Amino acid sequence: MIIKLEPEILQAVEKPARYTGHELNAVHKGWESTPCHFALALPDVYEVGMSNLGLKILYEVLNAREDTACERVYAPWIDMEEIMRQRQIPLFSLESFHAIKEFDFLGFSLQYEMIYSNVLNMLDLAGIPIWSRERGENDPFIVGGGPCVYNTEPIADFFDFFIVGEGEELICETVDVFRNWQEAGKPEGRQGLLKRLAVLDGIYVPSLYNVTYNQQGLFADIEPACPEAKPIIYKRLIKDMDSVRFVEKPVLPYIDIVHDRIMLELFRGCTRGCRFCQAGTSYRPVRERSKDKLRELARKLIDSTGYNEMSLTSLSSADYSCLGELVDDLFSDFKDEKVSFSLPSLRIDSFSIDLAHKMQQVRKSGLTFAPEAGTQRLRDVINKGVTEENLMAATEAAFRQGWKQVKLYFMMGLPTENDEDIVGIAKLAEKVARKYKEVTGRWGVTVTISVSCFVPKPHTPFQWYGQLPEAEFHRRQRLLKDSITERAVKFNYHDARVSVLEGAIARGDRKIAQVIYQAWKDGAKFDGWNDLFKNDVWHEAFAKCGIDLHLYNERAREPEEKLPWEHTTPGVSKEFLLREYGKALKEQLTEDCRRGKCSACGVCPSLKAKVVDWRRENV
Amino acid sequence: MYKYRAEITKGEEIRYISHLDYAGVMERAIRRAKLPAAYSEGFNPHIKIAFASALSLGVISDAEYMDFELTKPLCQPEVFDRLSKALPPGGKLLRLKEVPEPKPCKGKKHKALMAEVQEAEYELYVPLTGDWQEAVQAVEAYNKAPEAMVHRVTPKTNKMIETKQYMLKPVKLSMAGDLLKLYMDIAITQSGSVKPGEILKLLQAEYNLPVDEPKVLIKRISMKGQGKALIDLV
Repeated sequence: MIIKLEPEILQAVEKPARYTGHELNAVHKGWESTPCHFALALPDVYEVGMSNLGLKILYEVLNAREDTACERVYAPWIDMEEIMRQRQIPLFSLESFHAIKEFDFLGFSLQYEMIYSNVLNMLDLAGIPIWSRERGENDPFIVGGGPCVYNTEPIADFFDFFIVGEGEELICETVDVFRNWQEAGKPEGRQGLLKRLAVLDGIYVPSLYNVTYNQQGLFADIEPACPEAKPIIYKRLIKDMDSVRFVEKPVLPYIDIVHDRIMLELFRGCTRGCRFCQAGTSYRPVRERSKDKLRELARKLIDSTGYNEMSLTSLSSADYSCLGELVDDLFSDFKDEKVSFSLPSLRIDSFSIDLAHKMQQVRKSGLTFAPEAGTQRLRDVINKGVTEENLMAATEAAFRQGWKQVKLYFMMGLPTENDEDIVGIAKLAEKVARKYKEVTGRWGVTVTISVSCFVPKPHTPFQWYGQLPEAEFHRRQRLLKDSITERAVKFNYHDARVSVLEGAIARGDRKIAQVIYQAWKDGAKFDGWNDLFKNDVWHEAFAKCGIDLHLYNERAREPEEKLPWEHTTPGVSKEFLLREYGKALKEQLTEDCRRGKCSACGVCPSLKAKVVDWRRENV
Repeated sequence: MYKYRAEITKGEEIRYISHLDYAGVMERAIRRAKLPAAYSEGFNPHIKIAFASALSLGVISDAEYMDFELTKPLCQPEVFDRLSKALPPGGKLLRLKEVPEPKPCKGKKHKALMAEVQEAEYELYVPLTGDWQEAVQAVEAYNKAPEAMVHRVTPKTNKMIETKQYMLKPVKLSMAGDLLKLYMDIAITQSGSVKPGEILKLLQAEYNLPVDEPKVLIKRISMKGQGKALIDLV
C-alpha cells in the first residue's frame, strides 16, 4: 500500500516537510525489483531523527546493496498522529511511501530510555503487534540497535532481535542470512530466521532465552533456551575505520534539523575512563580514522551537500591525535568555500582554547566545558582528570581571546557526593566569573551552569550504585540555587522526575516491559519533550503493574548479584568495573590507556581489537 | 561582481518548504554547483542571493525568481548547466540571464528584485461541491463588489485587509476536469498585497462559492514587473 497524503492534511500540520520526503540524496529503488526492504527508524520527530549519524551510515551501507531498499521513518508529531489515527493512515516510509508493515525489517535506533514509549507508538501506528510473540509471518522483523542495547531487557519483549555494537558489517550479515532464508522458501518461518540470526556474532534474540527471578521477585538469571542462542553476546566493532563505509551522500533535509551540518566522525571510543560514562565503556577501544581519509571524506561531503558547516564529531574530538594538522589541512582545503568548522566538545586545556579560537575566527558563540563535579575530591571519584587549575587556565585563555560566555556542565547525585560538593559547583562557577573580571578588568561575563541528575548506567563502574531519591535531588538543587550569589552565574537544572524514571528503566529487567506498555497505553509518548512528559502516567503504570520503582533506581546492587544486562556486553569485564568502583570510593585515579598504562578493562582481548592512534602508528 | 537572474519552478516535491528554508535550499544548490559565489561580509558570510516574493507554504510555482552574484564572469551556458544539475527535485531551472551592469548615468546600483515585482498571476484548482451556476454567481458577485475585506490573523498580525484594491483583473473561473479552476491576477505593492488562498476563503465564506477549500492546489504562474516577466526585465 502506498500512502498518499492529501494537501488538506499537509496544510493542517506543523512543518509538513517532515512527511513529504523527496530530499536530495534520498535513495529511491524499485519496490518490486529489490527483494529486501529495510526501514530505519528513529523514534523521535524528523528533525531529531535526521540528525542521527548512525542511521545516516546504515542508510548508505544498506542502500549500497543491490538487493536492499533502505528507507526512513520517524515519529509523526502529535498533530500528524492525530490525523493519521482519525483517517486510519498507517505509518509510512519517506522514500516509497509504502506502509511500514510491508517492510521485511523495521530497525529502531535506541538512543536513550525515555524514548521507548515512542517505539510502541510507532509500532501501533504501523499496525504491527507491540509484543514480539504476537507477530505473524507477514509482520516485519523488529530490530533494535544503538546505545540502549547494553541493557535490552526492559524492551526485550517488544523486539525480535538486537544488533549489539557497531552495525556496519553486522547489518549486512543480517540481510545475507535473510536473503538465504527467503530464497530457501522461509524454512521454519519467523522462528527459522531468528534462529539463523542468533548464531551471528553480535545478534541477540531475546525470545530464545529463559529468565528466572528469585523469591523477592528480583532478576536471578537468564539462560539460552536453544543451542543457537549464545550465553554471552559481545558487541561488534569495526577494526579498521578507514576501510569501512562512511556517509558520503547524506540525505539533505529541506527544513532546519537539530544538527543541520556535516558530521565528520574522527574516531570511535574514548578511554579517558570517566566512571559515570556509558559511552566511555561501550565504544572502547579508541579507533581513529587517518587524517588523509578524513580529508577525502570531508571533500566528498561538502560536494554532495553544499553545506558550509562541518562538525568534527567524536566522543572527545580534541583527543584526535592529529587534530592540529587536520584542522590546518581542512582550513586550506576549503578556504575559498567559506566552510566553518566546529568541535562539539572541548577538553579543558589551553590547546583546546587555541583551537576553538582558530576555528571560530571571529564569531564567539560561547564555550562549553564539562568539569562534571564541583570539588577535586568528587572529580577524583569519577576519574575526571581535570583540576581547578586546568579549568582556570582554560577559561583565562578563553577570556583573553575575547569569549564572554562560558557554559559548565555538572552532574548531581554522583556516588559519595555531599553538600560540600554541591556548594563547590557554585564556588567554581563564581571563581570562573571572577576570573573574567581579573583578566578583562570588567564585569559582563555569563557563566551558565547546567546540572543534570546522575543516572547510573549498565556496564559502568557505577552500575551498582543506588540512585538518589527524587526528593533528595530537589533538596540538592535548592541548596545549589541558594549557594549562588554572583549575578553572572546562571543555573539550569534538569527535571529530576524524568531522571528517576530513566534510572529505573536503564537498569530494568524484563518485567519493566509491562510498565512501558501500560504507560504507553495510558498516553505516554515523547517523554523526552518537557511539555509532553506525563510523570503521573508513568508512576501510575508502575503501580498498576505492581512494580516498585525504587527497587530499580534506588536499590544498590550487590557485587555478587547477577545483573540483567550482563549478557549483552561491550566487552568490558565485571572485574574491571568492580575494581574501578572500588578505586572511585578511595578517590583514586586511573590513567587513560591510550597514553598511559593499560587498565585491563578486558575489551581488547575479548574482542580481539586494538587501539588505533595515528600519531602512535606514525612514530 | 557579476549578477545573474534565474527563473526556477517550485514543484510538488518541494511544495511544503517555507520561504526561509527555500532560501537555504538555493544557497546550498549554488554551493554544490561550485559556482564562484560572492559572499556577504561579516562573521557569518552568506551567498549574495535575493528573491522576488515569498511563496506561501503549499503553493507551487511555474516561475520563481532569484538573483545571485558571482565573483567571476562565467558564460551563461556554464552557469545554467551547473546550477541546473545541482537543483533539488521539483526545482527546474527554466531561464537564466546575466544582469548587465547599469549604465553609470542611470544610478549606481541594480534595482532589488523585490522592488521590481508588481504583480503575480495564480491558478487555483479546487473540488466543486455545488453546481456550476452557484460558482459563477459567487465569483461575479465578488468581482462586482466595490470592496471586500479579509481578516488576516497570524502570530504576528491581526488586521483587516481590503482585497479589491489588489485585484488587477476580475477573478475568472472555468472547469479543469473535475476541478474548478480560478484565475487571479494580484498586485504586489510596497504597502502590501493579498494571498490567493485568502481570496478563496473569502469567496467561500462570504460569497457562498461551493468548494472544498482545504483541498485546493494553488499555483503561481507568473510574476511580473511593468507587465513583463521579471526575467524579461533584464
